[in-house]
Amino acid sequence: MKCKGRKTRPPFRHVAAQGVMFLAAMILLAPIIWMFSTSLKPDEQILTATPRWLPNPVSFVHFNRLFTQAEDFPVARWLFNSAFISSTVTVLALSITSMAAYAFSRLRFKGRDVLFIAVISTMMIPSQITLIPSFLIVQKLGWFNSYQGLIVPGLAGAFGVFLLRQFFLGIPVELEEAAYIDGASPAVIYWKVILPLAKPALAALAIFTFIGAWNDFVWPLIITNDISMRTLPVGIMIFQGRYVTEYGATMATAAICSIPTIIAFLIFQRRITEGIAMTGLKQ
Amino acid sequence: MRKNQWRVAVMFLAPYGILFGIFILLPVLYGFFISLHKWHILAPRPEFIGLRNYKLALADDLFRIAFVRTLFFVAMVVPVGNALSLLLAVGLNQNYRGTTFYKVAFYMPVVMSVAVIAILWTWIYSAEFGLLNYYLSQAAAFGHNLAPSVFPATLKPQWLNSPATAMPAIALMSIWWGAGGNMLIYFAGLKNIPRELLEAAEMDGATPWRRFWTVSWPLLRPTTLFCLVMSVIASFQVFGQTYILTGGGPYYSTLTIILYMYQQGFGLYQLGYASAVGYLLFAALLVFTLIQFKLLAVKQ
Repeated sequence: MKCKGRKTRPPFRHVAAQGVMFLAAMILLAPIIWMFSTSLKPDEQILTATPRWLPNPVSFVHFNRLFTQAEDFPVARWLFNSAFISSTVTVLALSITSMAAYAFSRLRFKGRDVLFIAVISTMMIPSQITLIPSFLIVQKLGWFNSYQGLIVPGLAGAFGVFLLRQFFLGIPVELEEAAYIDGASPAVIYWKVILPLAKPALAALAIFTFIGAWNDFVWPLIITNDISMRTLPVGIMIFQGRYVTEYGATMATAAICSIPTIIAFLIFQRRITEGIAMTGLKQ
Repeated sequence: MRKNQWRVAVMFLAPYGILFGIFILLPVLYGFFISLHKWHILAPRPEFIGLRNYKLALADDLFRIAFVRTLFFVAMVVPVGNALSLLLAVGLNQNYRGTTFYKVAFYMPVVMSVAVIAILWTWIYSAEFGLLNYYLSQAAAFGHNLAPSVFPATLKPQWLNSPATAMPAIALMSIWWGAGGNMLIYFAGLKNIPRELLEAAEMDGATPWRRFWTVSWPLLRPTTLFCLVMSVIASFQVFGQTYILTGGGPYYSTLTIILYMYQQGFGLYQLGYASAVGYLLFAALLVFTLIQFKLLAVKQ
Protein backbone atom coordinates (compact mmCIF):
# COMPACT_ATOMS: atom_id res chain seq x y z
CA MET A 1 0.00 0.00 0.00
CA LYS A 2 2.83 2.36 0.72
CA CYS A 3 4.73 1.38 -2.40
CA LYS A 4 2.54 3.14 -4.92
CA GLY A 5 4.48 4.98 -7.59
CA ARG A 6 4.19 8.69 -8.04
CA LYS A 7 1.93 8.49 -11.05
CA THR A 8 -0.69 6.20 -9.52
CA ARG A 9 -1.36 8.09 -6.31
CA PRO A 10 -4.99 7.99 -5.22
CA PRO A 11 -6.50 10.99 -6.96
CA PHE A 12 -8.88 11.96 -4.18
CA ARG A 13 -6.44 14.22 -2.38
CA HIS A 14 -5.69 16.08 -5.59
CA VAL A 15 -9.31 16.45 -6.55
CA ALA A 16 -10.06 17.83 -3.09
CA ALA A 17 -7.09 20.19 -3.23
CA GLN A 18 -8.14 21.48 -6.61
CA GLY A 19 -11.65 21.98 -5.31
CA VAL A 20 -10.29 24.06 -2.45
CA MET A 21 -8.14 26.09 -4.84
CA PHE A 22 -11.12 26.75 -7.06
CA LEU A 23 -13.21 27.80 -4.10
CA ALA A 24 -10.44 30.13 -2.88
CA ALA A 25 -10.19 31.70 -6.33
CA MET A 26 -13.94 32.26 -6.44
CA ILE A 27 -13.99 33.83 -2.96
CA LEU A 28 -11.09 36.12 -3.82
CA LEU A 29 -12.70 37.13 -7.10
CA ALA A 30 -16.24 37.52 -5.75
CA PRO A 31 -15.94 41.17 -4.62
CA ILE A 32 -14.41 42.14 -7.98
CA ILE A 33 -17.08 40.30 -9.93
CA TRP A 34 -19.69 41.98 -7.75
CA MET A 35 -18.23 45.40 -8.54
CA PHE A 36 -18.27 44.90 -12.31
CA SER A 37 -21.63 43.20 -12.29
CA THR A 38 -23.25 46.00 -10.27
CA SER A 39 -21.81 48.67 -12.52
CA LEU A 40 -23.59 47.01 -15.45
CA LYS A 41 -26.98 46.52 -13.78
CA PRO A 42 -30.06 48.63 -14.36
CA ASP A 43 -31.06 50.41 -11.13
CA GLU A 44 -33.84 48.05 -10.14
CA GLN A 45 -31.51 45.03 -10.13
CA ILE A 46 -28.96 46.46 -7.71
CA LEU A 47 -30.62 46.17 -4.31
CA THR A 48 -32.66 43.02 -4.59
CA ALA A 49 -33.83 40.69 -1.81
CA THR A 50 -31.53 38.00 -3.18
CA PRO A 51 -28.21 39.22 -4.61
CA ARG A 52 -28.10 38.97 -8.41
CA TRP A 53 -24.66 38.04 -9.60
CA LEU A 54 -25.29 38.75 -13.26
CA PRO A 55 -26.97 41.78 -14.78
CA ASN A 56 -29.81 40.99 -17.12
CA PRO A 57 -29.92 42.85 -19.42
CA VAL A 58 -26.47 44.43 -19.35
CA SER A 59 -26.91 48.18 -19.03
CA PHE A 60 -24.39 50.97 -19.51
CA VAL A 61 -26.66 53.57 -18.00
CA HIS A 62 -24.32 54.31 -15.05
CA PHE A 63 -21.29 54.81 -17.26
CA ASN A 64 -23.31 57.07 -19.53
CA ARG A 65 -24.55 59.12 -16.63
CA LEU A 66 -21.06 59.46 -15.20
CA PHE A 67 -19.62 60.97 -18.31
CA THR A 68 -22.57 63.13 -19.27
CA GLN A 69 -24.51 64.25 -16.22
CA ALA A 70 -22.28 64.61 -13.22
CA GLU A 71 -20.91 68.13 -13.69
CA ASP A 72 -19.64 68.50 -10.13
CA PHE A 73 -17.84 65.20 -10.56
CA PRO A 74 -15.58 65.47 -13.61
CA VAL A 75 -14.93 61.74 -13.97
CA ALA A 76 -13.59 62.20 -17.51
CA ARG A 77 -11.09 64.75 -16.21
CA TRP A 78 -10.04 62.43 -13.37
CA LEU A 79 -9.57 59.65 -15.88
CA PHE A 80 -7.40 61.91 -17.99
CA ASN A 81 -5.38 63.02 -14.95
CA SER A 82 -4.77 59.46 -13.83
CA ALA A 83 -3.78 58.31 -17.31
CA PHE A 84 -1.54 61.31 -17.97
CA ILE A 85 0.18 61.19 -14.58
CA SER A 86 0.77 57.45 -14.51
CA SER A 87 2.14 57.28 -18.06
CA THR A 88 4.40 60.28 -17.53
CA VAL A 89 5.68 58.89 -14.24
CA THR A 90 6.35 55.54 -15.91
CA VAL A 91 8.30 56.97 -18.85
CA LEU A 92 10.32 59.44 -16.79
CA ALA A 93 11.03 57.11 -13.89
CA LEU A 94 12.23 54.39 -16.24
CA SER A 95 14.57 56.76 -18.05
CA ILE A 96 16.02 58.27 -14.90
CA THR A 97 16.37 55.10 -12.87
CA SER A 98 17.83 53.09 -15.75
CA MET A 99 20.53 55.72 -16.20
CA ALA A 100 21.35 55.61 -12.49
CA ALA A 101 21.29 51.82 -12.49
CA TYR A 102 23.68 51.81 -15.43
CA ALA A 103 26.13 54.03 -13.57
CA PHE A 104 25.85 51.86 -10.46
CA SER A 105 26.36 48.60 -12.34
CA ARG A 106 28.76 49.42 -15.16
CA LEU A 107 30.72 52.61 -14.66
CA ARG A 108 33.78 52.77 -12.45
CA PHE A 109 34.11 55.67 -10.11
CA LYS A 110 35.12 56.28 -6.56
CA GLY A 111 32.48 55.77 -3.90
CA ARG A 112 30.15 53.94 -6.26
CA ASP A 113 29.18 51.15 -3.91
CA VAL A 114 28.85 53.39 -0.87
CA LEU A 115 26.56 55.65 -2.84
CA PHE A 116 24.50 52.72 -4.03
CA ILE A 117 24.07 51.35 -0.52
CA ALA A 118 23.01 54.82 0.66
CA VAL A 119 20.37 54.89 -2.08
CA ILE A 120 18.91 51.45 -1.46
CA SER A 121 18.94 51.84 2.31
CA THR A 122 16.22 54.46 1.84
CA MET A 123 13.97 51.62 0.71
CA MET A 124 13.66 50.76 4.41
CA ILE A 125 12.25 54.18 5.28
CA PRO A 126 8.48 53.96 5.57
CA SER A 127 7.18 56.25 2.85
CA GLN A 128 4.27 57.64 4.84
CA ILE A 129 6.41 59.23 7.53
CA THR A 130 7.84 61.75 5.09
CA LEU A 131 4.44 62.94 3.88
CA ILE A 132 4.55 66.20 5.83
CA PRO A 133 8.04 67.37 4.81
CA SER A 134 7.39 66.31 1.19
CA PHE A 135 4.17 68.27 1.26
CA LEU A 136 5.97 71.39 2.53
CA ILE A 137 8.77 71.04 -0.03
CA VAL A 138 6.33 70.69 -2.92
CA GLN A 139 4.32 73.61 -1.61
CA LYS A 140 7.45 75.78 -1.43
CA LEU A 141 8.23 74.88 -5.03
CA GLY A 142 4.78 76.26 -5.88
CA TRP A 143 3.61 72.87 -7.12
CA PHE A 144 0.49 72.47 -5.01
CA ASN A 145 -2.45 71.48 -7.26
CA SER A 146 -0.18 70.96 -10.25
CA TYR A 147 0.88 68.10 -12.48
CA GLN A 148 4.51 68.65 -11.52
CA GLY A 149 3.57 68.16 -7.89
CA LEU A 150 1.76 64.95 -8.72
CA ILE A 151 4.48 63.57 -10.98
CA VAL A 152 7.98 64.64 -9.98
CA PRO A 153 8.20 63.52 -6.32
CA GLY A 154 7.33 59.97 -7.37
CA LEU A 155 10.24 59.58 -9.77
CA ALA A 156 13.12 58.98 -7.39
CA GLY A 157 12.15 55.72 -5.72
CA ALA A 158 15.11 53.47 -4.94
CA PHE A 159 13.28 50.27 -5.85
CA GLY A 160 13.68 50.79 -9.60
CA VAL A 161 17.40 51.45 -9.31
CA PHE A 162 17.80 48.33 -7.21
CA LEU A 163 15.82 46.12 -9.62
CA LEU A 164 17.51 47.38 -12.79
CA ARG A 165 21.04 47.32 -11.38
CA GLN A 166 20.46 43.73 -10.35
CA PHE A 167 19.43 42.89 -13.90
CA PHE A 168 22.21 44.88 -15.58
CA LEU A 169 24.80 43.02 -13.50
CA GLY A 170 23.56 39.79 -15.08
CA ILE A 171 24.27 41.03 -18.63
CA PRO A 172 27.63 39.62 -19.81
CA VAL A 173 30.35 42.27 -19.76
CA GLU A 174 31.88 40.86 -22.98
CA LEU A 175 29.01 42.27 -25.06
CA GLU A 176 29.78 45.68 -23.74
CA GLU A 177 33.57 45.35 -24.01
CA ALA A 178 33.22 44.54 -27.71
CA ALA A 179 31.26 47.74 -28.31
CA TYR A 180 33.74 49.63 -26.15
CA ILE A 181 36.69 48.45 -28.21
CA ASP A 182 34.84 49.51 -31.36
CA GLY A 183 34.92 53.01 -29.89
CA ALA A 184 31.38 53.29 -28.53
CA SER A 185 30.88 55.75 -25.69
CA PRO A 186 29.12 54.76 -22.46
CA ALA A 187 26.02 56.64 -23.62
CA VAL A 188 25.89 54.58 -26.81
CA ILE A 189 26.50 51.36 -24.92
CA TYR A 190 23.72 52.20 -22.47
CA TRP A 191 21.30 52.96 -25.28
CA LYS A 192 22.27 50.34 -27.85
CA VAL A 193 23.51 47.42 -25.76
CA ILE A 194 22.17 47.53 -22.23
CA LEU A 195 18.62 48.83 -22.66
CA PRO A 196 17.66 46.39 -25.46
CA LEU A 197 19.00 43.46 -23.43
CA ALA A 198 17.21 44.61 -20.31
CA LYS A 199 13.74 44.66 -21.86
CA PRO A 200 12.24 42.05 -19.51
CA ALA A 201 13.33 43.97 -16.41
CA LEU A 202 12.29 47.31 -17.91
CA ALA A 203 8.88 45.90 -18.80
CA ALA A 204 8.37 44.52 -15.30
CA LEU A 205 9.41 47.81 -13.74
CA ALA A 206 7.21 49.77 -16.15
CA ILE A 207 4.14 47.79 -15.10
CA PHE A 208 4.90 48.08 -11.39
CA THR A 209 5.46 51.81 -11.77
CA PHE A 210 2.32 52.35 -13.80
CA ILE A 211 0.08 50.37 -11.47
CA GLY A 212 1.64 52.01 -8.41
CA ALA A 213 1.19 55.52 -9.80
CA TRP A 214 -2.33 54.82 -11.01
CA ASN A 215 -3.42 53.45 -7.64
CA ASP A 216 -1.63 55.97 -5.44
CA PHE A 217 -4.05 57.48 -2.98
CA VAL A 218 -2.29 59.39 -0.21
CA TRP A 219 -0.07 61.70 -2.25
CA PRO A 220 -2.77 62.99 -4.65
CA LEU A 221 -5.06 63.34 -1.64
CA ILE A 222 -2.76 65.77 0.16
CA ILE A 223 -1.14 67.57 -2.76
CA THR A 224 -4.36 68.61 -4.56
CA ASN A 225 -7.59 70.16 -3.41
CA ASP A 226 -8.93 71.46 -6.70
CA ILE A 227 -11.62 69.07 -7.92
CA SER A 228 -10.24 69.16 -11.46
CA MET A 229 -6.74 68.14 -10.32
CA ARG A 230 -7.87 65.01 -8.49
CA THR A 231 -7.03 61.56 -9.76
CA LEU A 232 -9.51 58.70 -10.02
CA PRO A 233 -8.79 57.02 -6.66
CA VAL A 234 -9.26 60.28 -4.76
CA GLY A 235 -12.18 61.24 -6.99
CA ILE A 236 -13.98 58.01 -6.25
CA MET A 237 -13.76 58.66 -2.55
CA ILE A 238 -15.25 62.14 -2.97
CA PHE A 239 -17.90 60.70 -5.22
CA GLN A 240 -18.84 58.01 -2.75
CA GLY A 241 -19.00 60.54 0.07
CA ARG A 242 -21.72 62.35 -1.85
CA TYR A 243 -23.66 59.43 -3.32
CA VAL A 244 -23.38 56.85 -0.56
CA THR A 245 -26.36 54.83 -1.71
CA GLU A 246 -25.92 55.28 -5.46
CA TYR A 247 -24.30 51.91 -5.73
CA GLY A 248 -24.57 51.68 -9.50
CA ALA A 249 -22.77 54.95 -10.12
CA THR A 250 -20.17 54.33 -7.42
CA MET A 251 -19.37 50.87 -8.73
CA ALA A 252 -19.11 52.28 -12.25
CA THR A 253 -16.43 54.77 -11.12
CA ALA A 254 -14.69 51.98 -9.23
CA ALA A 255 -14.78 49.86 -12.38
CA ILE A 256 -13.34 52.69 -14.48
CA CYS A 257 -10.56 53.06 -11.94
CA SER A 258 -9.79 49.33 -11.94
CA ILE A 259 -10.04 48.41 -15.61
CA PRO A 260 -6.67 49.86 -16.73
CA THR A 261 -4.64 48.15 -14.02
CA ILE A 262 -6.50 44.88 -14.41
CA ILE A 263 -5.95 44.91 -18.18
CA ALA A 264 -2.29 45.82 -17.76
CA PHE A 265 -1.99 42.98 -15.29
CA LEU A 266 -3.75 40.45 -17.53
CA ILE A 267 -1.61 41.33 -20.54
CA PHE A 268 1.66 41.36 -18.66
CA GLN A 269 0.95 38.88 -15.88
CA ARG A 270 3.96 36.75 -16.76
CA ARG A 271 6.29 39.74 -16.62
CA ILE A 272 4.80 40.80 -13.28
CA THR A 273 5.16 37.41 -11.68
CA GLU A 274 8.71 37.06 -12.97
CA GLY A 275 9.54 40.58 -11.84
CA ILE A 276 8.37 39.81 -8.33
CA ALA A 277 10.42 36.64 -8.32
CA MET A 278 13.44 38.77 -9.30
CA THR A 279 12.98 41.16 -6.39
CA GLY A 280 12.00 38.69 -3.70
CA LEU A 281 14.89 36.30 -4.09
CA LYS A 282 17.85 38.57 -4.41
CA GLN A 283 17.31 39.87 -0.93
CA MET B 1 41.06 48.62 -19.12
CA ARG B 2 38.84 51.52 -18.39
CA LYS B 3 39.91 54.26 -16.11
CA ASN B 4 37.92 56.11 -13.51
CA GLN B 5 34.76 57.23 -15.30
CA TRP B 6 33.48 59.79 -12.87
CA ARG B 7 32.69 62.44 -15.48
CA VAL B 8 30.39 60.07 -17.31
CA ALA B 9 29.01 58.78 -14.03
CA VAL B 10 28.01 62.28 -12.96
CA MET B 11 26.07 62.71 -16.18
CA PHE B 12 24.28 59.42 -15.75
CA LEU B 13 23.55 59.97 -12.08
CA ALA B 14 22.63 63.66 -12.14
CA PRO B 15 18.89 63.44 -12.97
CA TYR B 16 18.27 60.69 -10.45
CA GLY B 17 20.60 62.18 -7.87
CA ILE B 18 18.90 65.58 -7.90
CA LEU B 19 15.43 64.12 -7.52
CA PHE B 20 16.63 61.66 -4.90
CA GLY B 21 18.18 64.49 -2.92
CA ILE B 22 15.12 66.72 -3.03
CA PHE B 23 12.31 64.20 -2.67
CA ILE B 24 13.80 61.31 -0.68
CA LEU B 25 16.78 62.49 1.35
CA LEU B 26 15.70 66.04 2.13
CA PRO B 27 12.22 65.03 3.41
CA VAL B 28 13.78 62.58 5.86
CA LEU B 29 16.05 65.24 7.36
CA TYR B 30 13.56 68.09 7.03
CA GLY B 31 10.85 65.97 8.71
CA PHE B 32 13.03 65.52 11.74
CA PHE B 33 13.76 69.26 11.78
CA ILE B 34 10.03 70.01 11.62
CA SER B 35 9.34 67.59 14.45
CA LEU B 36 11.55 69.71 16.75
CA HIS B 37 9.33 72.75 16.26
CA LYS B 38 5.93 74.00 17.17
CA TRP B 39 4.99 74.34 13.52
CA HIS B 40 1.48 75.46 12.70
CA ILE B 41 0.88 75.79 8.98
CA LEU B 42 -0.33 79.40 9.34
CA ALA B 43 2.08 80.61 12.01
CA PRO B 44 4.60 83.13 10.65
CA ARG B 45 7.57 81.51 12.36
CA PRO B 46 7.96 77.99 13.70
CA GLU B 47 9.15 77.92 17.28
CA PHE B 48 11.96 75.57 18.28
CA ILE B 49 10.86 73.38 21.18
CA GLY B 50 13.38 70.52 21.16
CA LEU B 51 11.90 67.14 21.86
CA ARG B 52 8.68 68.43 23.38
CA ASN B 53 6.51 67.11 20.53
CA TYR B 54 7.85 63.63 21.24
CA LYS B 55 7.12 63.95 24.95
CA LEU B 56 3.65 65.24 24.18
CA ALA B 57 3.00 62.34 21.82
CA LEU B 58 4.16 59.73 24.31
CA ALA B 59 1.82 61.20 26.92
CA ASP B 60 -1.05 61.64 24.44
CA ASP B 61 -3.93 59.20 25.04
CA LEU B 62 -4.98 59.29 21.41
CA PHE B 63 -1.49 58.49 20.21
CA ARG B 64 -1.40 55.52 22.58
CA ILE B 65 -4.78 54.36 21.36
CA ALA B 66 -3.61 54.70 17.77
CA PHE B 67 -0.47 52.72 18.54
CA VAL B 68 -2.37 49.91 20.26
CA ARG B 69 -5.05 49.76 17.56
CA THR B 70 -2.36 49.67 14.86
CA LEU B 71 -0.60 46.83 16.71
CA PHE B 72 -3.92 44.99 16.84
CA PHE B 73 -4.26 45.43 13.07
CA VAL B 74 -0.69 44.24 12.45
CA ALA B 75 -1.18 41.26 14.76
CA MET B 76 -4.12 40.13 12.64
CA VAL B 77 -2.92 40.97 9.16
CA VAL B 78 0.69 39.80 9.28
CA PRO B 79 0.30 36.22 10.60
CA VAL B 80 -3.01 35.43 8.90
CA GLY B 81 -2.04 37.17 5.67
CA ASN B 82 1.31 35.42 5.44
CA ALA B 83 -0.18 32.03 6.28
CA LEU B 84 -2.75 32.54 3.54
CA SER B 85 -0.12 33.68 1.04
CA LEU B 86 2.03 30.65 1.79
CA LEU B 87 -0.95 28.32 1.53
CA LEU B 88 -1.95 29.75 -1.83
CA ALA B 89 1.67 29.50 -3.01
CA VAL B 90 1.85 25.83 -1.99
CA GLY B 91 -1.39 25.26 -3.89
CA LEU B 92 0.05 26.94 -6.98
CA ASN B 93 3.21 24.91 -6.67
CA GLN B 94 1.30 21.62 -7.14
CA ASN B 95 1.20 22.44 -10.85
CA TYR B 96 -2.47 21.57 -11.15
CA ARG B 97 -4.19 22.36 -14.38
CA GLY B 98 -5.12 26.03 -14.55
CA THR B 99 -2.19 27.30 -12.50
CA THR B 100 -2.10 30.53 -14.50
CA PHE B 101 -5.79 31.10 -13.84
CA TYR B 102 -5.28 30.63 -10.11
CA LYS B 103 -2.24 32.88 -10.07
CA VAL B 104 -4.18 35.63 -11.84
CA ALA B 105 -7.24 35.19 -9.63
CA PHE B 106 -5.25 35.28 -6.38
CA TYR B 107 -3.21 38.31 -7.45
CA MET B 108 -6.10 40.32 -8.94
CA PRO B 109 -7.03 42.28 -5.77
CA VAL B 110 -3.43 43.49 -5.45
CA VAL B 111 -3.61 45.57 -8.63
CA MET B 112 -6.61 47.54 -7.38
CA SER B 113 -6.45 50.90 -5.63
CA VAL B 114 -7.14 51.14 -1.92
CA ALA B 115 -9.89 53.62 -2.76
CA VAL B 116 -11.68 51.08 -4.94
CA ILE B 117 -11.43 48.21 -2.51
CA ALA B 118 -12.47 50.45 0.39
CA ILE B 119 -15.69 51.64 -1.22
CA LEU B 120 -16.40 48.14 -2.48
CA TRP B 121 -16.04 46.65 0.99
CA THR B 122 -17.97 49.46 2.65
CA TRP B 123 -20.91 48.10 0.74
CA ILE B 124 -20.06 44.44 1.37
CA TYR B 125 -19.94 45.18 5.11
CA SER B 126 -23.12 47.25 5.11
CA ALA B 127 -25.40 45.86 7.83
CA GLU B 128 -28.60 46.14 5.82
CA PHE B 129 -27.54 45.94 2.18
CA GLY B 130 -24.23 44.12 2.36
CA LEU B 131 -23.39 40.83 0.70
CA LEU B 132 -21.66 39.50 3.80
CA ASN B 133 -24.68 39.88 6.04
CA TYR B 134 -26.96 38.48 3.36
CA TYR B 135 -25.05 35.19 3.23
CA LEU B 136 -24.44 35.23 6.96
CA SER B 137 -28.15 35.54 7.74
CA GLN B 138 -28.92 32.84 5.17
CA ALA B 139 -26.50 30.55 6.98
CA ALA B 140 -27.95 31.54 10.36
CA ALA B 141 -31.49 30.88 9.17
CA PHE B 142 -30.45 27.50 7.84
CA GLY B 143 -28.83 26.64 11.17
CA HIS B 144 -31.82 28.00 13.08
CA ASN B 145 -34.10 25.53 11.35
CA LEU B 146 -31.90 22.68 12.47
CA ALA B 147 -31.02 23.82 15.98
CA PRO B 148 -32.99 26.88 17.12
CA SER B 149 -31.19 27.06 20.44
CA VAL B 150 -27.74 27.34 18.85
CA PHE B 151 -28.35 29.62 15.88
CA PRO B 152 -30.16 32.96 15.92
CA ALA B 153 -32.92 33.46 13.40
CA THR B 154 -31.21 36.47 11.86
CA LEU B 155 -27.62 37.61 12.05
CA LYS B 156 -26.78 41.11 10.88
CA PRO B 157 -23.71 42.47 12.68
CA GLN B 158 -22.91 46.16 12.29
CA TRP B 159 -19.44 45.36 11.02
CA LEU B 160 -18.04 48.85 10.62
CA ASN B 161 -20.22 50.58 13.21
CA SER B 162 -19.28 48.51 16.21
CA PRO B 163 -15.95 49.01 18.02
CA ALA B 164 -15.51 45.27 18.49
CA THR B 165 -15.77 44.32 14.83
CA ALA B 166 -14.59 47.38 12.89
CA MET B 167 -10.85 46.66 13.07
CA PRO B 168 -11.15 42.90 12.40
CA ALA B 169 -13.35 43.75 9.41
CA ILE B 170 -10.72 46.16 8.07
CA ALA B 171 -8.03 43.53 8.70
CA LEU B 172 -9.99 40.88 6.79
CA MET B 173 -10.35 43.24 3.84
CA SER B 174 -6.64 44.07 3.95
CA ILE B 175 -5.72 40.39 3.98
CA TRP B 176 -7.91 39.85 0.94
CA TRP B 177 -6.32 42.82 -0.77
CA GLY B 178 -2.70 41.89 -0.11
CA ALA B 179 -2.45 38.10 0.05
CA GLY B 180 -1.58 37.74 -3.63
CA GLY B 181 1.55 39.89 -3.36
CA ASN B 182 3.39 37.75 -0.82
CA MET B 183 1.96 34.65 -2.49
CA LEU B 184 4.07 35.34 -5.57
CA ILE B 185 7.20 35.76 -3.45
CA TYR B 186 6.55 32.53 -1.55
CA PHE B 187 5.80 30.84 -4.86
CA ALA B 188 9.15 31.98 -6.27
CA GLY B 189 10.81 30.71 -3.08
CA LEU B 190 9.16 27.30 -3.40
CA LYS B 191 10.20 27.06 -7.04
CA ASN B 192 13.79 27.63 -5.96
CA ILE B 193 13.91 24.63 -3.67
CA PRO B 194 16.08 21.96 -5.29
CA ARG B 195 13.92 19.21 -6.71
CA GLU B 196 16.45 16.52 -5.71
CA LEU B 197 15.94 17.25 -2.02
CA LEU B 198 12.18 16.81 -2.27
CA GLU B 199 12.56 13.67 -4.38
CA ALA B 200 15.06 12.19 -1.96
CA ALA B 201 12.64 12.81 0.90
CA GLU B 202 9.87 11.20 -1.12
CA MET B 203 12.02 8.12 -1.79
CA ASP B 204 12.53 7.81 1.93
CA GLY B 205 8.78 7.66 2.31
CA ALA B 206 8.16 11.13 3.72
CA THR B 207 4.54 12.24 3.41
CA PRO B 208 3.85 15.52 1.59
CA TRP B 209 3.10 17.10 4.96
CA ARG B 210 6.45 15.98 6.35
CA ARG B 211 8.31 16.93 3.16
CA PHE B 212 6.95 20.42 3.51
CA TRP B 213 7.97 20.87 7.15
CA THR B 214 11.38 19.20 6.95
CA VAL B 215 12.56 20.33 3.51
CA SER B 216 10.61 23.27 2.11
CA TRP B 217 9.90 25.24 5.27
CA PRO B 218 13.52 25.51 6.51
CA LEU B 219 14.75 26.43 3.03
CA LEU B 220 12.03 29.05 2.72
CA ARG B 221 13.32 30.87 5.77
CA PRO B 222 14.93 33.82 3.94
CA THR B 223 11.74 34.25 1.90
CA THR B 224 9.60 34.11 5.02
CA LEU B 225 11.79 36.68 6.74
CA PHE B 226 11.59 38.97 3.73
CA CYS B 227 7.80 38.69 3.51
CA LEU B 228 7.28 39.16 7.24
CA VAL B 229 9.51 42.21 7.45
CA MET B 230 7.89 43.80 4.42
CA SER B 231 4.37 43.12 5.62
CA VAL B 232 5.07 44.41 9.12
CA ILE B 233 6.44 47.64 7.64
CA ALA B 234 3.50 47.97 5.26
CA SER B 235 0.76 47.15 7.77
CA PHE B 236 2.08 49.54 10.40
CA GLN B 237 1.53 52.27 7.83
CA VAL B 238 -2.11 51.39 7.20
CA PHE B 239 -3.95 54.55 6.18
CA GLY B 240 -6.28 54.40 3.18
CA GLN B 241 -8.41 51.59 4.59
CA THR B 242 -9.15 53.25 7.93
CA TYR B 243 -9.38 56.72 6.39
CA ILE B 244 -12.07 55.70 3.91
CA LEU B 245 -13.96 52.93 5.70
CA THR B 246 -14.30 54.37 9.18
CA GLY B 247 -12.29 57.58 9.54
CA GLY B 248 -10.86 56.09 12.73
CA GLY B 249 -14.18 55.34 14.43
CA PRO B 250 -16.30 54.12 16.03
CA TYR B 251 -14.90 55.37 19.35
CA TYR B 252 -11.34 55.47 17.95
CA SER B 253 -11.40 51.70 17.52
CA THR B 254 -9.81 51.99 14.05
CA LEU B 255 -7.61 55.01 14.69
CA THR B 256 -4.23 54.04 13.22
CA ILE B 257 -0.93 55.86 13.57
CA ILE B 258 -0.68 57.30 10.06
CA LEU B 259 -4.34 58.26 10.18
CA TYR B 260 -3.68 60.11 13.44
CA MET B 261 -0.63 61.75 11.87
CA TYR B 262 -2.80 62.80 8.93
CA GLN B 263 -5.50 64.21 11.19
CA GLN B 264 -2.98 66.17 13.23
CA GLY B 265 -1.04 67.39 10.20
CA PHE B 266 -3.66 68.06 7.56
CA GLY B 267 -6.74 68.39 9.75
CA LEU B 268 -5.42 70.50 12.63
CA TYR B 269 -2.29 71.76 10.82
CA GLN B 270 -0.01 70.78 13.72
CA LEU B 271 2.83 69.86 11.39
CA GLY B 272 5.52 69.66 14.06
CA TYR B 273 3.48 67.35 16.24
CA ALA B 274 2.40 65.23 13.28
CA SER B 275 6.02 64.82 12.15
CA ALA B 276 6.99 63.65 15.62
CA VAL B 277 4.23 61.02 15.42
CA GLY B 278 5.69 59.86 12.10
CA TYR B 279 9.18 59.58 13.53
CA LEU B 280 7.97 57.64 16.55
CA LEU B 281 6.42 55.16 14.12
CA PHE B 282 9.71 55.02 12.26
CA ALA B 283 11.55 54.22 15.50
CA ALA B 284 9.00 51.53 16.39
CA LEU B 285 9.41 49.98 12.93
CA LEU B 286 13.18 49.87 13.28
CA VAL B 287 12.80 48.00 16.57
CA PHE B 288 10.30 45.54 15.12
CA THR B 289 12.47 44.91 12.07
CA LEU B 290 15.51 44.24 14.24
CA ILE B 291 13.53 41.84 16.43
CA GLN B 292 12.39 39.92 13.38
CA PHE B 293 15.91 39.68 12.04
CA LYS B 294 17.13 38.40 15.41
CA LEU B 295 14.39 35.81 15.65
CA LEU B 296 14.35 34.61 12.08
CA ALA B 297 17.68 35.38 10.46
CA VAL B 298 19.39 32.39 8.92
CA LYS B 299 22.33 31.35 11.02
CA GLN B 300 25.46 31.39 8.95
